[in-house]
Amino acid sequence: MESKPVLAALAASCLAVPAGAANVTFEGSVTPTCTLTVNSNGIMKVSANLQSLSSHNAGGQAGVVQLTTTGGVQVSVDPVTDADLKPSADTSATTWTPTYAAAGAHTISETGSATTLSAPGTSTVSVHLAGTKAGSDRFAAGDYSATVVVLCEE
Amino acid sequence: MRRSLAAAALAALLCVPAAGQSMSPMRGQVASFDDAFAVRVFPANPYGHRIRIAVRVYDQEFRPVAARIAPNDFMLGADASRPVLVVVPFDGAATRKVRICTESVPFPGEQTQIKAQICGKFLGQRRF
Repeated sequence: MESKPVLAALAASCLAVPAGAANVTFEGSVTPTCTLTVNSNGIMKVSANLQSLSSHNAGGQAGVVQLTTTGGVQVSVDPVTDADLKPSADTSATTWTPTYAAAGAHTISETGSATTLSAPGTSTVSVHLAGTKAGSDRFAAGDYSATVVVLCEE
Repeated sequence: MRRSLAAAALAALLCVPAAGQSMSPMRGQVASFDDAFAVRVFPANPYGHRIRIAVRVYDQEFRPVAARIAPNDFMLGADASRPVLVVVPFDGAATRKVRICTESVPFPGEQTQIKAQICGKFLGQRRF
């Protein structure tokens, strides 16, 4: 009475696992990576009171960087100590403040501090730069240029 | 000198590259029997045009390190990658941590330029 189910089970097991079968396992490892692609540089405009030269001001434009990572990296902007180019008439001190924000796979509110990215994906990073003068100092007529370093590190 | 180069080349082989990144690998641990250790990194150009790339070595506080970098400044074609050999002296220490960075300004000469900097962390350990 019980021999039929036992035989059926044996037959099924023989079909499922043929003699000499072996499992092949695959292993892989993804190390942290980061790609930064600068899509466009920024544009700074001067404020009405001539004390702010910033990408936040009307007519200004943030620089745009595309960031792609596996996660496990940190993104930040380096301090800007001085402009690369400024008019000779500008002899007063300027405080430069670089900031950034991100949208996409990573959401980062505008900040000047480092942010750890644990998730993988691609994000669009908006980079701003603001120069400010204090007291009676004003930005002078002429060309200004500054460089913001966007750093992605493990 | 020959021993030094052989050790450096052997150590460089221990860092396995990955394709299609701005710089790979981004971390590494290298054992060396000499007074320097070597790392081979692969900067890549993700743009559709040629860009100038610089490879620099810094310590943990981003102070420049006197390493031998070959080549340290070069033009890289669109979607291309190339190996760069970095030889870092131990300067008498048993271990040394450095950052190796790939830097580029893809659109120079504009008002607010953005410099992209990709840094990896590498640890050299001296074997006696």
